[in-house]
Amino acid sequence: MDYLLDVQDIHTFIGQYHILQGVDVRVPKGSITALLGRNGAGKTTTLKSILGLTPPRQGRVIFEDRAIQGMHSFDIASLGIGFVPEHRAIFRDLSVEENLKIAERKKDDYVRKRDFIFSLFPDLKRLISLSGTNLSGGQQQMLAIARALVADNRLLLIDEPSEGLAPVLIEQLMKAILQLSAESTVVLVEQNFLVASQLAEYYVIIEEGRSVKEGKMKDLINDKDTIHRYLGAA
Amino acid sequence: MAKDTLFSTLKQNQGMLFTLLVFILLPFVVGLFNGASPAQVWLNESGHSKFIQGLAIEIFILALYALSYDLIFGFTGLLSFGHSMFFAVGAYLTGILLKSFGFSLAATFGMLFLAGIVQALLFGMVLPRVKGITFALVTLGMASVFHVLVISTELGEYTGSDVGLQGVVVPAFISPASERLRLYFVTLTILILVFLLYKRFVNSPTGRVCTAIRENEGRALMLGYNTFFFKLAALMLSSLTAALAGGLHTIYQPIVSPNVAGLGYTVTALLIILIGGVGTLNGALVGAVVFRLLDYGLRRYIGESASFINGAIYVAIVLFLPYGIVGTWKLKSMNLRQGWDRLLGMLNTASKEK
Repeated sequence: MDYLLDVQDIHTFIGQYHILQGVDVRVPKGSITALLGRNGAGKTTTLKSILGLTPPRQGRVIFEDRAIQGMHSFDIASLGIGFVPEHRAIFRDLSVEENLKIAERKKDDYVRKRDFIFSLFPDLKRLISLSGTNLSGGQQQMLAIARALVADNRLLLIDEPSEGLAPVLIEQLMKAILQLSAESTVVLVEQNFLVASQLAEYYVIIEEGRSVKEGKMKDLINDKDTIHRYLGAA
Repeated sequence: MAKDTLFSTLKQNQGMLFTLLVFILLPFVVGLFNGASPAQVWLNESGHSKFIQGLAIEIFILALYALSYDLIFGFTGLLSFGHSMFFAVGAYLTGILLKSFGFSLAATFGMLFLAGIVQALLFGMVLPRVKGITFALVTLGMASVFHVLVISTELGEYTGSDVGLQGVVVPAFISPASERLRLYFVTLTILILVFLLYKRFVNSPTGRVCTAIRENEGRALMLGYNTFFFKLAALMLSSLTAALAGGLHTIYQPIVSPNVAGLGYTVTALLIILIGGVGTLNGALVGAVVFRLLDYGLRRYIGESASFINGAIYVAIVLFLPYGIVGTWKLKSMNLRQGWDRLLGMLNTASKEK
């Protein structure tokens, strides 16, 4: 199969702690892959290690047939990887439009992508001149995702998109993620198994810093044993 | 159509234009109040007008200096405790080149430009290695080294050590004694040009990245920005401006005191933008006016205890206008109540500690 991203046995340390102790993630092109696992299993660290924010000490990260481990974060991002961090990490001092413009990597990225972005998140168009502080939690999350869509990113890493959002907003967000996955490949960290199972085509389960199981989501849904063992009651 | 856009630009900037008009007319109006005709003011024959021009020149220079600090601290979020070095290097270099080496004014300002770049690179060297308060302390260290150099007796021949640099001969056409009105308009023009440049910079894509870095450098990184170069660009512009302000300071002041190289002078910049409003360009201008006039007024009418009252006023400003004058104006809420609560809270903890 053709993998857009291939993470091979990475080990990441934060300070003296050995957080990732061998994580493999293979992401087929054009799919949505969910990283599952309990709190503190290392899902977010895996995303951060891909982007070089916490560089892996061992192992390889291959993006579009190119080893990217050990590169600077800003260089990795420039290759075409968009990151949507958890907790709606937008720039509160900038307006909605400025938040989007700042993500431009080529001139007029924003003008080119504007219509697509506003078709996914119609709310943002209305709020375009508002500063980030004045957005609600859901709007901030939409903006954080929208920001990652401005540049030509072939891969989107989305961390906990549904965290702390009202059910209505989660549905809206899921629709948007499904739509945007037509344009780029998505890797998703998601605590809410219901959300993850409806979005993702593939899954990787991470347990205590190791990837322990991977496969197709539709097989996992019926595999009550695995779900119970690694994800708790779901 | 072109007329309409011109009109709307004028209307949008009416506050700025009005301020500008005030400063253009100021020397002449002050002259009129003291019975000097505009012609006399023009020929620098009105003593009182000259005095006010002098005060205004000092304010313009302070405003330039405060703007330069606001760019790195207020917009980019770099807390530097060594900012006075940028200013002092400009001031001393101008004095020494003019006095001891007989440079022309143009050549001196050329050297100032170089010095500004070198200083920014010097700070830039430590930029990727230290962050936050550590950056503040390292820059404080560098500025202290310069301060020690300036007051050392070994270099006294050039710097005048702890007495200060005196006897700089300023070219006659811009001399603060005989051509003060010209110097007034030169500094005013420089301030306006720098202000417009800064306005352009902070509203440019580069400026927005600087704001983003202030808020959260990690987020700027993961968008694919090499934040180091943006911080360096801000530092570069800032140090050039501060060096220019220092050069003008030497031209205007008969003596360059080593105080301008000390930590106190960095605090001056910080104070000015705190008064005016951190992260607002107008705030640096308003802050400079308030700071200088307060200082002058209190010293003149109260005398020795002026600094005590000055300090009390600054504490009050921080308590009641935490966003500074311009910042509070923009928010359109004074919230005096919160200020009282803060003050009472402060006094409460103070009395409990006894």
